[in-house]
Amino acid sequence: MDGITAGNLKMVFGDFVAVRDVSFEVAAGEFVTLLGPSGCGKTTLLKMISGFLTPTGGTIHLSGVDVTRTPPEKRDTALCFQSYALFPHLSVLENLEFGLRQKRVPPAERRQRLDAVIDNLDLALHLGKLPNQLSGGQQQRVALGRALVMRPNVILFDEPLSNLDAKLRDQVRIEIRRIQRDFGLTAIYVTHDQAEALAMSDRVFVMNGGKIEQADTPEELYSAPKTSFVADFIGSANVLEADVTSTNGNGDVELSTPLGPLKANSGAPPMGRKVKICWRPEHADLTATGENRLSARVTHRAFQGHFTDLHLDDGGNGYRIQTNQPSIREGDTVTFSLRSDQIVLLEALA
Amino acid sequence: MTLRKWLLVLSLLTPGIGLIVAFIGVAVYIAAAQSFGYYNLAGESSFSLEFWDRMLDRKVFSRAVMYSIYIGVISAFLSVAFAYPLAIWLRKPFPGSLAIGAMLKAPLLVHGLVVAFLFINVISYHGILNQLLQGIGLWDEPHRLQNDRNAIGVLILQTWKNMPFALLLLTGAVQSISDDVLNAARDLGAGSFDRFRKVIAPLTVSAMQAALIIIFIGALADFSFQVIAGPTNRQSLSQLMVFFKDGGRWNDAAVVGVSLMIIAIAGSALLAAVSRIVMRGRIA
Repeated sequence: MDGITAGNLKMVFGDFVAVRDVSFEVAAGEFVTLLGPSGCGKTTLLKMISGFLTPTGGTIHLSGVDVTRTPPEKRDTALCFQSYALFPHLSVLENLEFGLRQKRVPPAERRQRLDAVIDNLDLALHLGKLPNQLSGGQQQRVALGRALVMRPNVILFDEPLSNLDAKLRDQVRIEIRRIQRDFGLTAIYVTHDQAEALAMSDRVFVMNGGKIEQADTPEELYSAPKTSFVADFIGSANVLEADVTSTNGNGDVELSTPLGPLKANSGAPPMGRKVKICWRPEHADLTATGENRLSARVTHRAFQGHFTDLHLDDGGNGYRIQTNQPSIREGDTVTFSLRSDQIVLLEALA
Repeated sequence: MTLRKWLLVLSLLTPGIGLIVAFIGVAVYIAAAQSFGYYNLAGESSFSLEFWDRMLDRKVFSRAVMYSIYIGVISAFLSVAFAYPLAIWLRKPFPGSLAIGAMLKAPLLVHGLVVAFLFINVISYHGILNQLLQGIGLWDEPHRLQNDRNAIGVLILQTWKNMPFALLLLTGAVQSISDDVLNAARDLGAGSFDRFRKVIAPLTVSAMQAALIIIFIGALADFSFQVIAGPTNRQSLSQLMVFFKDGGRWNDAAVVGVSLMIIAIAGSALLAAVSRIVMRGRIA
């Protein structure tokens, strides 16, 4: 297939297993994000795809070609570095054309490719400047342009927005996505920022402890996490332990939880008799009078503008809900409902 | 800045820089003045171009100039050429790298005269090298290696002595280049040589210039290596200067000394300019 195929990838540093038997496929033109906390193996995985690390085991295919042991300079990939990694002694134009000269692209084509990227990234005014004369956002655009001008099959991003301020990050995020679509590039993007991952990606691979916990669309990851790690890492979630008291063929599951009995119907059968469950704070409905009614005292209130974050305590069990009713105060008791399809069954407990 | 502040700055600098300027200034002044006939210890002291005229006509002087430039330039380039790969190799720490780095810098602590005598012992007619090469059957009889006509021995000694200094300067410069920058070059298709030529060399050009210039000046003015291990059919400028001085011809010695200073300044400027042009990294 076009795109990227990884089979049983493994990377070991001494006694430490950084990536353990990871397999995945990324379709041509797809934008995939590797998301996870520090040390989860996402950058190691990216470095294996780009060729800077040779896997201890497994294979990598780019557009059907086995590149597992191909050095980076011979791969059809381009990497955007977290630090931008612009050549400090070269002007913006020289940075942009570095790779084209390396690959001995004929002058006419070089000019045409450069013009397209310069125009696309609005760099015309900065071509003669050295990198230290540019702002962070401009440097990021040059780094992006330097990668794009190579017209690689696969473009890789290693936390490229982490050095930018919040406003600029939003702008560049949109720009990266637009360019990726315009050029039809297969993209792998590494970040630990879940909002960035959800906003940009066709699919997100959530990584933990060197393996992919879940690979899904942002919507699926948010609404149907498969493990408590994913539920907790993507957005905020209330994760509880529960005993399955009954199930039926329609997917209805009755649960016994520290908050009392709850009914769930997430479409999937429970993984065991004792499971973890989760629900999102914003799914608490203070106006409804339906199933799964819970009451608790407000211990902490944080007004966030378009919603209010409430920390609740129910007999020693703490959890969070979000509401658009700003009048609720600390010490109040609130009652709310949860729809059974919004309670998600996670992994089984041993 | 006010006059008062200028005076304060100057008075603070005087004990350090002032002393250096005074000593160098006096030496330069005396040498320059003597080369034009002043401070004549054996005759009338007055302005004269006679010493320069006579010296520039002497074949021994032009040979000494060419020879000293040859030693200076080749030693500087060889030292830097050997130091670069070592600096790149030692860029990232690895088990034993500290010990290797320390061993490579050890020649800095050994006096040149000691090294020269050791070297002569090794390459002498009945020395270890001759014995070894005969022992393994490569040579049938001992060869004369000492005081060779092309000054290979002097170049080996100069490089051995100066390479650690170049390494010291280049290691710091090479270590200051981030991994990401080198990886970016690699990602864009640059192999090892191109990474050196287009990224490492331009980013370390200042350290390289400093190493080239300092080694060039030192090797240009070499005396001890030349006297012990140099060719016997020509003299270095320092040797020639001492030869004139020993004969009481101070004005001729001063002409050679001033020539040495002029060549050192001009040569350094030329080396710096050439290295910057060649290593700017913008040539595809």
